[in-house]
Amino acid sequence: MDFFSNLMLGFSVALTPFNLMMAVVGVLLGILIGALPGVGPPSGVALLLPLTFGMDPTSGIIMLAALYAGTMYGGTITAVLINTPGESASVVTCLDGHQMALQGRAGPALGIAAFGSFIAGTIGVVLLMLVSPALARWSLAFGPPETFALMLLGLTTVTLLAGDSPVKTYISMVFGLMLAMVGFDVISGEARFAFGIPEMMDGIDFLPVAIGLFGLGEVLAGAETKGGALVKGRYGLRDVMPTAADWVRSRWAIARGTALGFAVGILPGAGPTIATFMSYTLEKKVSKHPEEFGRGAIEGVAAPESANNAAATGAMVPMLTLGIPGSATTAIMLGGLMMWGLRPGPLLFEKNPQFVWGLIASQYIANVMLLVLSTAFIPLFVRALRVPYAVLMPIIIALCVTGSYSLKNSVWDVGQMLVFGVLGYAMKKLGYSPAALVLALVLGPLAERALRQSLIISDAGIGIFFLRPIAAVLVSAALLAVLVPLARSLWSAWRRRGEAPRLA
Amino acid sequence: MLLALAVAFSAGALRQYAYWGANGPGPAFLPFWLGLVMAVLATMLLVGALRTKDPGASWLPSGEGVRRLAFVLGATIAYVALLNLLGMVVATVLFLIVLMRALDRCGWPLTLAVALATAGSIYFVFGRWLKVPLPTGVLGF
Repeated sequence: MDFFSNLMLGFSVALTPFNLMMAVVGVLLGILIGALPGVGPPSGVALLLPLTFGMDPTSGIIMLAALYAGTMYGGTITAVLINTPGESASVVTCLDGHQMALQGRAGPALGIAAFGSFIAGTIGVVLLMLVSPALARWSLAFGPPETFALMLLGLTTVTLLAGDSPVKTYISMVFGLMLAMVGFDVISGEARFAFGIPEMMDGIDFLPVAIGLFGLGEVLAGAETKGGALVKGRYGLRDVMPTAADWVRSRWAIARGTALGFAVGILPGAGPTIATFMSYTLEKKVSKHPEEFGRGAIEGVAAPESANNAAATGAMVPMLTLGIPGSATTAIMLGGLMMWGLRPGPLLFEKNPQFVWGLIASQYIANVMLLVLSTAFIPLFVRALRVPYAVLMPIIIALCVTGSYSLKNSVWDVGQMLVFGVLGYAMKKLGYSPAALVLALVLGPLAERALRQSLIISDAGIGIFFLRPIAAVLVSAALLAVLVPLARSLWSAWRRRGEAPRLA
Repeated sequence: MLLALAVAFSAGALRQYAYWGANGPGPAFLPFWLGLVMAVLATMLLVGALRTKDPGASWLPSGEGVRRLAFVLGATIAYVALLNLLGMVVATVLFLIVLMRALDRCGWPLTLAVALATAGSIYFVFGRWLKVPLPTGVLGF
C-alpha cells in the first residue's frame, strides 16, 4: 500500500538529526510557553514563526507543530499547581486538577494528563493520517464557488472561538477582512486603501498583526498588575505516576476525550478550548458519581487533557487539506505555510509529500517526546514558573519587536506590530476576539479571489452558490452558523427588555 | 466610543466604492459589502448598548494600572524609535534595563544578566544563525 511507503518517507524525513532536534526544541519551548501565564499557544507560534524562516519549511512546521503539542501540556502544569491556566485550553483542568493538588495528589494529576495527552495525541495522529488524504482527494473537486463556500463556513463558525457576544466576534472578523483588503487587489492589481504609503500597498502582513495582538497585547494586559506567580513544592518522577485505580477510572475518560477532541478539532473555528469544555461536560454526564466533579475527580483532568491534544492534532486536518484553520494557532501556522510559499489544500499532498508526511511522522515522535520530557522534567518546569513576570515581560516584548522586524527587515512592520499590540490589549479588555481577526486576515484574500472568480463564472449571479450541491450545503451551514447565535442573542435581549420594567 | 469608529470605517469603505469592473465585480465589490455588514453590526451593538442604559463600565484600569501600562507602552515605543539609531543590540539592553529597574525594581545583577543574555541570544539566533540584517545604528553593532 502506498500509505505505508508515504509513512516511511515521512519517518525518513522526521528522523534526520536536525528535524529530530527541532521537535525536541519545539516540545520543550511549547511546555514552557504553555506553562507561563500570559503567553498562550497562538503567541508562542507567532513569536517563533520568524525563527523558522531561515529553515527548510519542513523543519519549521515540525518545530511549530511540536510546540503546539507542548503548549497543550504546559498549561496543565500551572492549572494544577497554582490554579492559573497557562492557556485557555487548560481552564477546565483547573476545576479538578487544582482540587487534586490541594489533596496532595498533584503528581497523579500531572501524570494522568501527560499519559492522556500522549494517548490522545498518538491516536489523533493516526486519525489525521487516515482522514487527511481522503479529505484532500475529495476537495480536489472544488471549484471557486466551493472554495468560497468553505471559507465562508470557516469565517462564520468563528463565533465558536469563544468571545462573549457574537456581534463583537463578527465585528472583529469583518474588521480583519477589511484589513485583508488593504494592498494590491488580487485580480485587477489596483492598490486599495494604501493612502499613498508604499509600505501599505503590499498589504498588511499577518505576522506583525498576530505578534501584536497575541504577544504584545497579552503582555500589556499583564503589565497592569505587579508581581509574579510562585510555586512551592517539589515534584519528582516517582510522584507523577498515577496509581492503578487512577488508570481504571480514567480509561474511558481518555478514550471519550480523544474521540470528542479530534472531532471538534476538525471543525473549522472550533479549537481545543471548546473541546475541553465539551469533554468535561460529557464526562460529568456519563459518570456514575458526578458529585465528585469539581472536588478532585481524576476523570475531570484526564478527559479534557486528552481532548485538547486530540483537538490540536485534529485542527491540522482542515489546515493541511482545505487551507482552513481549525483554531487560532493553526490560523497562524497557515499564514506561515503561505509565507514559505506552500499553498495548503488538496495539492499540498501531491506536490509536497515529504512536507506533509514528514509533519505527520514527526507528530508521532513529538508525542513520545512529550511524554518523556513532561514526566522527566516536571521539576524543571516547576522551577521555570518561579521566573517573575517582571523579568519575563521585557523579554517577551523584545522578542515581539525582533520577530516582527525580521520578517522583512523593516521597522515599519515593528510599528505595525505596536499598533496592533495596543489594539489587541483593547480588544481583550472589551471582549472582542483577536483570533477571529487573525483568521479573517489570513483567509480574506483567498476568500475574495474565490468569490470574485465565482461571480465572473456565473456572470454576477448569486445562484451559483446554491446550484452546486457541495457549495449549497456549505453555504447553508454557514448561514445557519450566522443566524442561530444572532437570533439567540436578539431573543435574549428582547426577553431582558421584557423583564426590565418589572425589575424597575 | 468604539462604535463611532466602526461606523466611520464602513463609511470609508463605502466612499471607496467607485468601481464595479467591466466584466464582473471590481476591486471595490467586497469592501463595499464588508462596509455594509460592519455598519449593520455596529448599529446592532449601538442599539444593544443604548438599551442596557449602562453607562459602560470603564475598561481602562485605574491609578497604578494605568501608570504601569503607560510606562511599558512608552518604553516600548521609545525602544522601537531607537532601533535604527542605537542598533538592535544596544537598544534591547537599554530597554530591558529600564523596564526591569524602573518598573519592578529588580536588583542590578539580575537586571544586567537578563538584559545581556536576551540581547545576546537575539544577536546570535537572529543575527548570526538566521542572518537577519539587524539594525546596527551609529555604534556599528
